Amino acid sequence: MSILSGLRRTVRGGHLDDDAFVEIWADATTSGQPAAHAHLAECAQCRGRYSAFVGWLDGIHHDARDEADEAFPPERLAMQQAQVMRRLEASERPARVIAFPRFSRPVTSTQGHAQRWVAGAAAAGLLIGLAAGQFVDIRDAFGGRSRVTPSATQTARVMAQPVTTAVVTPASATTVSDEQIFFGEGEQSARLSSLLPMDDITPRARDERP
Amino acid sequence: MTGAQAAGIPTREADSAAASAVKALQAEGRHAEARERYAELVARHQRRAARIAFHYLRDSAEADEAVQDALVKAYSHLSSFREELPFEIWFTRILINGCLDRIKARTRRERWLVPMPESPHGQRDFAERIAGSGPSPEDHVLGRERRQKLAAALARLPERQRSVFMLSHYEGCTSREVSALTGLNESTVRVHLFRAIRRLRTLLAEDPSSVEAGRVKRRVNS
Repeated sequence: MSILSGLRRTVRGGHLDDDAFVEIWADATTSGQPAAHAHLAECAQCRGRYSAFVGWLDGIHHDARDEADEAFPPERLAMQQAQVMRRLEASERPARVIAFPRFSRPVTSTQGHAQRWVAGAAAAGLLIGLAAGQFVDIRDAFGGRSRVTPSATQTARVMAQPVTTAVVTPASATTVSDEQIFFGEGEQSARLSSLLPMDDITPRARDERP
Repeated sequence: MTGAQAAGIPTREADSAAASAVKALQAEGRHAEARERYAELVARHQRRAARIAFHYLRDSAEADEAVQDALVKAYSHLSSFREELPFEIWFTRILINGCLDRIKARTRRERWLVPMPESPHGQRDFAERIAGSGPSPEDHVLGRERRQKLAAALARLPERQRSVFMLSHYEGCTSREVSALTGLNESTVRVHLFRAIRRLRTLLAEDPSSVEAGRVKRRVNS
């Protein structure tokens, strides 16, 4: 203990000072041996002061111990031990999944496999349907949309008909509205059979792609 | 070491035997028996562990948790325990590390929190104690005041000095044991102890009679 050896000094007319007491006491405590110092054995005054010093330290020791023992009475220690044992027991048990209170059976049952497959298949079907919808027009698939292209015979027939047969009726004279014509309903009411070949070769707005 | 040292050797042998037995039972998968055997060790070290944790943390609830955590951790890591080191030292090291972690966490937490005023919990304890057959209310108040001063003085010590002082003086550990517990050199342990006492003496010098008065009163009562 080289650092402390420098403090082994005496003051006040050859008596030990507080630092020397601390050193003697620390030596005794850390070595587990009773305090032994030549001066202490000879000087009654220093012995008395050293006793007071040790008493002061003992007071601290008792106070600290009493305080801790007050905070932890035997009942609390018994509870603590029981708690430790419970925790140890719990730590050795395998973990289990607790079902959500609404369901009476556990979440991780084996019957859930089929349901999972069904749900997966439904989700996959939905995704495939959405993807296919981006590429294929359903009206085309069912033949609902057919672009009318005038054939060569129809064109020839129209060209062969005399122009005089065409009767031009002013728009105001006819009772067919533009809307009816647009939706094709005016064909019957107008009864303009001569215009039918021409109408056949005329593309309609409804057939155009939006 | 005082009383603990006198009974230290047989206790250590018993600890070592119990720890080995628990380890063997754990390895064989006989967990219930292992736990029963471990309960012996818990009972033997629980009080001392509670004191140490309380002195570190200064809060009984937190100290309780720290002791429980250390005991559970020691049990689950018993396979790493080597018989050449006393179980007491090994376990105390786990406990102290846990306490230091908690202190760090608390410091971080308190950095962001406004300190609360003293809860009425202490008042209730005080009233219960007055009703009991323990020390008089005056003694209780004086003792509490003394302990608060001591705790405040200890709190002002550097962490290493405080650890060394508490382990040496409160728990009666030798410098070798403190060295094993803290990882400090034996001579460093002595220096820290020396400085801790000198500093405490200075800090408590404002009212040195407080501790002395308590000691005299205790002697008279006993």
